[in-house]
Amino acid sequence: MSIIQQHSEASLGDGWRRIDIDRLIEDSSVNFDTSTLHPPLPETSDAEVLQINSQVRQLLRGGDSEGALRGCLEMPVYNGSDSAKDSHLHTVIEVLQSIKASDMTPMLQRIYNTPGGPECLDVLMKYLYKGMASTSSSSPEGSNSAPRTPTRVTPQQTGFSQVGSRPGQANESTGGAMSVLLSWHEKVTDVAGLGCIGRVMTDWRRV
Amino acid sequence: MAAPEVHHLFHHPIADHSFSADRKTLAVARDTTVELYSRVGNAFKLKDELKGHDKTVTSVDIAPNSGRIVTCSQDRNALVWEPSPQGYKPTLVLLRINRAATFVRWSPSETKFAVGSGDRVIAVCYFEEENDWWVSKHLKKPIRSTITTVSWHPNSVLLAAGSTDAHARVFSAFIKGVDARPDPSVWGERLPFNTVCGEYMNNSAGWVHSVAFSPSGDAVAFAAHDSSITVVYPSGPDQPPKAIISVNTQLLPFMSLIWNGEAEIIAAGYDCEAFRFKGDSNGWQLSGTLEAAKSRPGLGGGDREESALNMFKQMDLKGKVKDDTQLKTIHQNTISTIRPYEESGSGVTKFSSSGVDGRVVIWHT
Repeated sequence: MSIIQQHSEASLGDGWRRIDIDRLIEDSSVNFDTSTLHPPLPETSDAEVLQINSQVRQLLRGGDSEGALRGCLEMPVYNGSDSAKDSHLHTVIEVLQSIKASDMTPMLQRIYNTPGGPECLDVLMKYLYKGMASTSSSSPEGSNSAPRTPTRVTPQQTGFSQVGSRPGQANESTGGAMSVLLSWHEKVTDVAGLGCIGRVMTDWRRV
Repeated sequence: MAAPEVHHLFHHPIADHSFSADRKTLAVARDTTVELYSRVGNAFKLKDELKGHDKTVTSVDIAPNSGRIVTCSQDRNALVWEPSPQGYKPTLVLLRINRAATFVRWSPSETKFAVGSGDRVIAVCYFEEENDWWVSKHLKKPIRSTITTVSWHPNSVLLAAGSTDAHARVFSAFIKGVDARPDPSVWGERLPFNTVCGEYMNNSAGWVHSVAFSPSGDAVAFAAHDSSITVVYPSGPDQPPKAIISVNTQLLPFMSLIWNGEAEIIAAGYDCEAFRFKGDSNGWQLSGTLEAAKSRPGLGGGDREESALNMFKQMDLKGKVKDDTQLKTIHQNTISTIRPYEESGSGVTKFSSSGVDGRVVIWHT
């Protein structure tokens, strides 16, 4: 016997199955701001980012590439404008490109074994993924013209879609940057393990 | 170290397992039923099946003294199974939740149990004599997401819970008339129901898989999806904790952890093997795996010398030289639960693990 005494248009259809009942519950997860779950992050202004970046470049010019790498990884831009985040990403990539392939693993191991080192490599991994996401999109590195929004980082735009966009002209430099990022990715995974990749995915602090 | 005792029960994931106090009965959650195995010689034989849930059973726990079994399921119900000469009799518990029940554990006093759920509440259940019924009280605030795990303090009043909102919390689950007033501890003195004694998260904020009080109850540890374990040493009520120590590992995330004394934690998870952590309030480190190299099933021990004929045969048949379809660990898939099996005064001497591969393994620490 049916509990429904009188059938109506609404009860016979299956529209009710698509009702988002979470919206109707006052304290459900869709009805509160999930950012309140975490302590707020310190904001980094554009000026600060520029200052860090010029210091890092100075170290790089002085030949201290390990210091430069540490410098930019210890001050990640978690909370800042898009332009600040982008310019920091470019600095990181610049540092990465300047380091010889044979120096990568020893340098990563030295960083990993210092206090705070594992955290630094987690940050590096975040920048590698961000770098792969942005170099494979149409605008090559060095352009801060296109304002990036987080919505543009769709699964199609990870490093592996690059093959599809090969016939473009701007791709020589993109391909170069990508191969640098990929070889760093391999080396970082060797040193910091798969846990490092997992942390990039779970972490709520995005670079 | 003696070799671990491996029981391959079936080819199906084990959501949770529990041994009775005499270790002769083993309850495992399989699909919508709970299977009871009893020890016959060196093996476990299926003895009974507890059928009462109509969705996946997520957790099972046997009370050591009374022998009562509590189970909970995605069908939003919990059942208490009372042992009787005619078999186990189920009693439904009024959980009042409208999402799946995810985790259940008896309190050490065995007068209460806590059920975690996807409804952002923990139902603390106790027996009401006058109604002859298990009823529940809800721990609600400030939980913002599914409760994945709970763990009782030795005093049966405090309850630690881990959640997918990335927080591990310590609550008071004090029920008037059931519990005696607890002794004051680092967690607080006056502890009415739903007092939040602590709320912790680690830096990268992975959702929490497992949480456990240390044997003294003065520290709490949790494992999160960012492949870390975090140990919290509180200093007193309404004060920041003395120390919060996070160990980020290179491994895959841990699903379950237990304390072995105050200075050792054993954790296991997606890497299919158990790992040992050592430390105190000054710091913790990963100290190694519990999987002894010789105990690994190489099917005859290590790499056998292959004949050239055999090698080419393998290459022809399988396109590769070595048969590497087996993991080098005893568990062949994720370990979902580890529990103390045998305890001595100073800690755990044996513990048991169960996982997605349908094995229950008893390990020496």
